Amino acid sequence: MEQEIMTETHSGTAVTASPNRQAIAMQLKDVAVSFNGRTAVRDCTFDVAKNRVTSLIGPSGSGKTTLLRALNRLHDLTSGAKVSGHILLEGTDVYRGDLTVTELRTRVGMVFQRPNPFPTMSIYDNAVSGLRFNGIKKKALLDEAAETSLRAAALWDSVEGRLKVAASNLSGGEQQRLCIARALAMDPEVLLMDEPTSALDPIATLRIEELMTTLKSRVTIIIVTHNMQQAARISDDCAFLLMGEDRAGELIEFDTTEKIFNNPRDPRTLDYTLGRFG
Amino acid sequence: MSEILNESIVALELGDEAAGGYNPPAASRTWYHYLLLAGAILFAAVSVGFVGTIFWSSLPTWLHHAGTLLGGKGWASPLGPFGGLAMITGTFETSLIALVLAVIVGLGTSIAIVFLIPRRFRNVIATLVELLAAVPSIVYGLWGLLVLAPWMETTVNPWLNSWPFAKAIFGNPGQEFGTSLLLASIVLGIMILPTFVAISREVIAVVPQDLIEASLSLGATRWQVIRGVVLPTAKIGLFGATFLALARATGETVAVALVAGGVANVQFHLLYPGTSIAAWIATEFGESQGNEIAALMALGVLLMLLNFGLSLVSRWLVRRQRRVLALV
Repeated sequence: MEQEIMTETHSGTAVTASPNRQAIAMQLKDVAVSFNGRTAVRDCTFDVAKNRVTSLIGPSGSGKTTLLRALNRLHDLTSGAKVSGHILLEGTDVYRGDLTVTELRTRVGMVFQRPNPFPTMSIYDNAVSGLRFNGIKKKALLDEAAETSLRAAALWDSVEGRLKVAASNLSGGEQQRLCIARALAMDPEVLLMDEPTSALDPIATLRIEELMTTLKSRVTIIIVTHNMQQAARISDDCAFLLMGEDRAGELIEFDTTEKIFNNPRDPRTLDYTLGRFG
Repeated sequence: MSEILNESIVALELGDEAAGGYNPPAASRTWYHYLLLAGAILFAAVSVGFVGTIFWSSLPTWLHHAGTLLGGKGWASPLGPFGGLAMITGTFETSLIALVLAVIVGLGTSIAIVFLIPRRFRNVIATLVELLAAVPSIVYGLWGLLVLAPWMETTVNPWLNSWPFAKAIFGNPGQEFGTSLLLASIVLGIMILPTFVAISREVIAVVPQDLIEASLSLGATRWQVIRGVVLPTAKIGLFGATFLALARATGETVAVALVAGGVANVQFHLLYPGTSIAAWIATEFGESQGNEIAALMALGVLLMLLNFGLSLVSRWLVRRQRRVLALV
């Protein structure tokens, strides 16, 4: 499959924003986000392929995180924030379709920059917190979800015997994996990750990266990262954003990670991936 | 005993940072270094002297009538015996009821200020709350006496007495002018509300945004975020705010003196008049002498200890809250 895509793109026939013919999890059409009339990011049109890792890269201020947070409507909290264009989840417009914001967020989970388990909850309670928010009370269901999600996040073996311990006792890397488990417990279709390893040491980072690679068989991952090596290592597709003249971020190029790093269409992409700026 | 107290006064006034101390190298110790040092020593001396003399003046009571002061029911001016039970129970009754009222209303206010009210009105409400805190207590007392008391007398008290169940709790108001333990509790509740709101609002506001976003990202509704994440995370600090408000209520003097009725009876029916330690000291001191002064001083010591205790607990809780947030 991978080979096929590469042949296709190298031959120069792929001119659409979709780098492959795989099933699509999310579609972005001309998405722009503004705060009090000031555009923070714009011109974002690309498809997020199912069961792949899509990375958003670019220098600070290019709007990566802003774009990511539009995907699960976290900007709804911010007064003055406006998202325009269309964001489709399995064909349904997440802003205008008949999808409630809470339903959207159960289908599109999120992991944050800083590990943020709920400090007053145990490991177990953190893992099942999303299910509890959504009204699931049956202990058998919660127990099962806790084990499944903690296993999926490669945390089960180290916490099995201390599920009732406060989550704050875990190391930073373990806390972040608990946050991943917490999101996975909802069985989301898409997992948004906002620089999930930037607060972690190299070894914990490596474990999270390995985890992402195994997780993509069950969930589509969109990750914002500052770290180009990380994007190159773990992502299949890559969106490169850059701050424009008016300080608004815009999408420069979207393609397979392979192409973005080896043979990009835009010279600015090459300059960035070679470390000439940013 | 007094040593512990002095230490706590110093700790209270100077805070942790100062207690840790900054010690400049000897060469840079100029005249102002010694001036500041002298100020600190003077301050410590005044504190010691203050607490010491209060204890000293109350000593006769502690030595000879401690049991009467803590457990006696009547206050027979000017010769005694001087029983403080009515003031002690009155203090606790009025403060605790005031606290319940203030916490219920205040918690709602704080949550509303932080999460519900649009940003441009937020500051207006917050400023209003702070202005309420700045109103002198005599004004609250006057308002309670001239506005609330007549209303209590004509409307609230008869209404409460019209239910058999309420009557059992509140009792018959008799021929009073609306002044009662209940009125004192209500006025106190209004007075400590700004204190509670000011602190609880901050405790709630510093709950990290990413915890709120994390819970929203799991599909939580706003109410679930508040109940399931914000309040549990802020819990310890909210207890801290509660204790500080309680400390303020127990020490409040003038307003209670005006609206509680000023009667030294141990009374659990809240529509009857009563008094509190602070109010009683204020109203009795002018005409007291000898043993009565010692007894009032002893009440003052009790109040001071109570307030120290509550303030220390409150500070300890707020510190623990900071530690909880540091772990986040």
